[in-house]
Amino acid sequence: MVNPLSIFIIALGTGFLMSLIDRLHRSVTMLVFYAALTGMVVITGQWLVAIMQGSEAAVIYTAGFQVPFSINLRLGFEEAIFTFLANLVGLLSAMYLFSRFKESNAGAMVLFLMMVMGINGMIMTRDMFNLFVFMEITSIATYALIGIDRNTKSLSAGFKYIIAGGLASSLFLIGTIYLYRLTGTLNIDTMIATKEMIAGNAGYIALFLVLAAIVIELKPFPANGWALDVYQAVNSGVVAVVATASSAAMFFVIYKLLPLLNISMLDLLAGIGIVTFVFSNLLGLKQQNAKRLLGYSSIAQMGLVLTALTILYKGTCGILPINLLIIIVGGLFLNHFLAKAGLFWLTGLFKDQETGKWSAIRQNPLLMFVFGSFIFALIGLPPFPGFWAKWELVLFLAKSGQHIWIWAILLGSFLEAIYLLRWLLTVVKCDIEQVAEVNFQKILPPVLFIIGLFNAGFLMMIHYYSFNPILFAPILMPALFFAVDWLPAKLKGIATILVIGAFSYHVIPQLEGIYPIFAILFLGGGLIQLIATLQAGGKRTGFYPFVVMMFLALGILLKSETTIQFFYAWELMTVSSFLLILRGRQAERHSLLYILFSLAGAYFILVGFAYTFAATGSLTILSLNGITAYVSVIYISLLIGFLIKTGALGMHIWLPGSYAESEDDVSPMISSILSKAGIFGIMLVSGLLGKTLIGKVEVSSLLGWLGAATALIGTLMAIFQEDIKKLLAYSSMGQVGYMVLSVAMLSHLGWVSAIYLSFNHLFFKALLFIAIAGVVSRTGTRTMYEMGGLIKKMPFSFISVLIAIIALSGVPPLSGFGSKWLLYTAGIERGWYLQTAVAFFASTIVFLYCYRLIHAIFLGQPKPKFKNIKEASLWYLVPEYLLIMAIMAISMFPNLILKPLIAAVSVYFPTTVDWNGYTVVSSLGYWNGNAVMYVTMGVFALPLIILILTQRKPQAVKQFNIVFAAERPDRPETTHVAYNFFAPYQKALGFMARPLATRFWTAVSEWTQSLAALFRQIYTGNGQTYALHIILYVVVLYFISGGH
Amino acid sequence: MADILRTALYLFISVFVILNYGLLLNGLVRKIVARAHGRVGPPIWQPWLDILKTYAKRSAISHGVMFFLGPIFRLAGGLGTYLFIPAIYGSVMFANLSFSGDLLLVMYFIFFGQLGMALGAGEGGHPNSAIAVGRGLSQMTSFELPFALSVIALAIQYHSLSITEIVAAQQGGILNWTIFTNPLATFAGLFALLGMNMHSPFDIVLAPQEVPIGPPTEMQSSFLGILQTNRAIFLSAKLVLFMNLYLGGATNIFAMMLKTFMLYMLSVVVGVSFPRFRTEQSIRFFLGVPTLLGLAAVIIFML
Repeated sequence: MVNPLSIFIIALGTGFLMSLIDRLHRSVTMLVFYAALTGMVVITGQWLVAIMQGSEAAVIYTAGFQVPFSINLRLGFEEAIFTFLANLVGLLSAMYLFSRFKESNAGAMVLFLMMVMGINGMIMTRDMFNLFVFMEITSIATYALIGIDRNTKSLSAGFKYIIAGGLASSLFLIGTIYLYRLTGTLNIDTMIATKEMIAGNAGYIALFLVLAAIVIELKPFPANGWALDVYQAVNSGVVAVVATASSAAMFFVIYKLLPLLNISMLDLLAGIGIVTFVFSNLLGLKQQNAKRLLGYSSIAQMGLVLTALTILYKGTCGILPINLLIIIVGGLFLNHFLAKAGLFWLTGLFKDQETGKWSAIRQNPLLMFVFGSFIFALIGLPPFPGFWAKWELVLFLAKSGQHIWIWAILLGSFLEAIYLLRWLLTVVKCDIEQVAEVNFQKILPPVLFIIGLFNAGFLMMIHYYSFNPILFAPILMPALFFAVDWLPAKLKGIATILVIGAFSYHVIPQLEGIYPIFAILFLGGGLIQLIATLQAGGKRTGFYPFVVMMFLALGILLKSETTIQFFYAWELMTVSSFLLILRGRQAERHSLLYILFSLAGAYFILVGFAYTFAATGSLTILSLNGITAYVSVIYISLLIGFLIKTGALGMHIWLPGSYAESEDDVSPMISSILSKAGIFGIMLVSGLLGKTLIGKVEVSSLLGWLGAATALIGTLMAIFQEDIKKLLAYSSMGQVGYMVLSVAMLSHLGWVSAIYLSFNHLFFKALLFIAIAGVVSRTGTRTMYEMGGLIKKMPFSFISVLIAIIALSGVPPLSGFGSKWLLYTAGIERGWYLQTAVAFFASTIVFLYCYRLIHAIFLGQPKPKFKNIKEASLWYLVPEYLLIMAIMAISMFPNLILKPLIAAVSVYFPTTVDWNGYTVVSSLGYWNGNAVMYVTMGVFALPLIILILTQRKPQAVKQFNIVFAAERPDRPETTHVAYNFFAPYQKALGFMARPLATRFWTAVSEWTQSLAALFRQIYTGNGQTYALHIILYVVVLYFISGGH
Repeated sequence: MADILRTALYLFISVFVILNYGLLLNGLVRKIVARAHGRVGPPIWQPWLDILKTYAKRSAISHGVMFFLGPIFRLAGGLGTYLFIPAIYGSVMFANLSFSGDLLLVMYFIFFGQLGMALGAGEGGHPNSAIAVGRGLSQMTSFELPFALSVIALAIQYHSLSITEIVAAQQGGILNWTIFTNPLATFAGLFALLGMNMHSPFDIVLAPQEVPIGPPTEMQSSFLGILQTNRAIFLSAKLVLFMNLYLGGATNIFAMMLKTFMLYMLSVVVGVSFPRFRTEQSIRFFLGVPTLLGLAAVIIFML
């Protein structure tokens, strides 16, 4: 094994030689330079592998003397990881800078080498003064490298860095002198051993100064203006190292010094970290420059890592459990390190760093994939290490009762997600304005790092969570589909159907209780709707992978036994559906709202599960049962999380836009299937925690009112829409409101009703959305009043919509009536009279939009521009008629669906319904769907016969042959009554449909942005001001810490 | 087989009786309203003449399939509504097909005809039809709310949604009728009935001078005949339903006629006394006092 000292020998040796060699030829210099960096990577890599296989850590005493007569270096597990990563990022950045080094002075390479070496030294050394030396080496090399791009901005940034670095160094030096005075040693380990000597005010000040110096180097908010300027102005290749490796080294210094610190200092550090994390992310919201944005994110992430480390250290009284350390601190750090370096490298592809001008990246699928994955990694989505880290961190905090930290961390993460996702969206959606300078050496480093990130995530899944292979399916299967994304869309569509079919066949038989019913809902419903996607021609790149991911994640959701599996599947489902919604042409703003609300919901779910773990120490979902501690926190957090997915009132503002603006064949999946995942979640938790009280009020009764209110307001909003898909979207919101209401009843009939409603909604809403997709595909408009009279052109679509609205409105004999009967009976039986009345009122308003929908499109006066329009494509009609068959089957034979439902739900609640042949008998009334169907047929046949007998060939007339007094209609536009159809209703009840929730959330968003703008003003760009910031910061910190 | 034939015969008789009773009511009311206006009015048998005339028309035009089916939906809705209600308590002949479902079924089957007719009228393409449908649906939502509250109050009171059981519970004397045992629910329901019957001030759907006759504007010949048939059956069906719910039902056909006539007179008297509302006024009206009454009826049981 190579002695770690060789790292320094190599670096210094080549550094001295390089200016000589450079006289031979530049290529020789470069060869030596890259060889040196590679050597450093290999040495540390070799040590890392060896230590992981059980070797002892390397402890080096220079010149063979023991401390205090020598400088002591150490290369253990932690050091090996940090140095390996630092050297790796150094090597890759050097590759990235290949052409730059080729042109510039050899000195640049020497500086680069010194910088990397300095970082190695900072990590390995155990000597305070030596640490100072390495810090200075790194800093000086960095100052000079900052000037590699010779422009005013980078030079002034470099100067500010020198000021800040100078201040930090002086503090560090003074602190070190004091420490030496107190302990008589410079060796960190000896200091730790003689810790009690660092006592009193002098001891405190000594430690404080050292700590303050390191903290300043970690760029804490608000004393970090200089750092942001550096991030913004410096060459991407250099800044990748500065933001990751240098910060990592500084962070590692803190890690080394932790045992010296007392509790109040740990608290101080944690506080510094969290303030930096939250505020940097807040300020990031107003940022448009990609590099500065990444700067904010870097600073924030390091703050989080610092907080996590100190909290963990404090919470475990200094004995860090290795697994938690690796997952939480290691996970957060690795996530940040790889993703941030990768993103900084990507910034180098563009001249203009404005985030809105990055769209060119999407022309290259590989780069787009890399960029998107980095963003998702930073947000902390599975399978990346950040996801597992955040999970364990929140669990740890909940377990140790540190409640405020949880919310602060989640708030910061949320703010970060906002600007990162906004960036992603502008990349996907904005027009392409500049060209990306793509070449091999600039792409390879980020690609390698994204592979690293995925692998790290997978390793965690296998190593720490023992995920079985099927849980990998929602990631690996989409990857497979990405690999064959060049195939024609139809082929991939069929493959998707086969994959989901096989998956369903495998999964459904393994489930019990209400689970297989939901599996049929999710997967069976999905299979039918996938047929409609086959209408698309071309390749439709980037569509099927996410479809596969979404449905597999839904399946996994049902199969998950532990909370972590559930959360994993939930997040995957959220991401994939976001990416699907995003595809819609006008979906930018709406998909952002969707993902932000979903993320917030996911955080609530995370909190709920974390407290479940805190209360029971168990990760199984069933451990929710019989919880005694934290019950209301758990229940309410989980409910909020799931309710956001259902679009409950107040949390619904993402819903109409997302449903309406996604692609026409995606809308049915999102509205009729995805929203049911929320219902499933609510059933899951309310089944286990249903009787929870807040004060004297049952949570479930609040939930019931929320459901009823959602049903009413959703429906009211629907009737005032002119856009057909918006109408359907609001309709979905209302319908899901009924489901929430009936789940909340926590009674047998209530739950049967909820699942019945879910199925019925699946059938008719998918039918409506697909039929409308067919209509829109022909007319090219979604505005209803522009259509009219299409019944004669699209009779099959008309029948679909007709059946769907009958099933939707609840008119007998179709299945909708069953849902109404169950809902009202359940409500009255439960004693929820007023909620039932609200639901009844809402369901009469449903007639309004049902009629408006079918009338404005299919009835009334046809427009000349649609004279030659054709019936919708067969790919739309096939799933439509399958759904119609489903509706007819459960209408004619309600037993088909009711009997399994009743049996499944009676596991949870004692049944109150009885059967008498085809008649369902409840405690209140009865219903025989079969008889109703026959009676309806009978009473329909009678007048039909009369009319056929009495009508002797009615004469078909032309369009305007209608009874019209005084004037003669000549334009369908003025005769077709469709625009603002329910004007009187608007006058009477429009006040209830005011967008209060939208206004509220807009205000929240504006206030947040203003707050960010306000704080941002401290960054003046002036070096003197920044110096003042640093000094004031240290002083304030001292006062906050109390000085002892 | 004999069973089915007998049921068919009973149904035929039941429908025949109710149709003629409905026509009679229509004739009577036209006469009464005319007298209230100071006119002589048409003869009492005028509805029969109208129906025969429209069925006998030779020329007819159609605007399409849905237009053709609209009136059929309407009459099917009326017939179905009637047939799901037990018209006379204790009578096999007039029990109709009430075994199919309870009060909720009847309440929802009312929509069947309305929706179908609205679709047929829509295909007619006349702007007045669409406007009137919009008005009608808007008003319908608002009077359904007090009605629903009233029904919920009854369900609480009688622990049942079965019409037969509700009627059974009211037997044994006039004071057992809902109107005396639960006046709040009854008045909420009766307000809703005023809206359903669409007499002034709630005649915004067929509003003369505004949307001449609304949805049926394009309907003629036997299309109109079917609608007129339905008007008679549907009217009686609603009245029978309300009689069952609030006035103790009927044990014989004469009691039924008397009670439903009284119920109908309510609409007639209000109708000749008040001018027409605008649509939004009507909506606000039903969501006001009638809804409060309904709420009170329900809340009393919750206390």
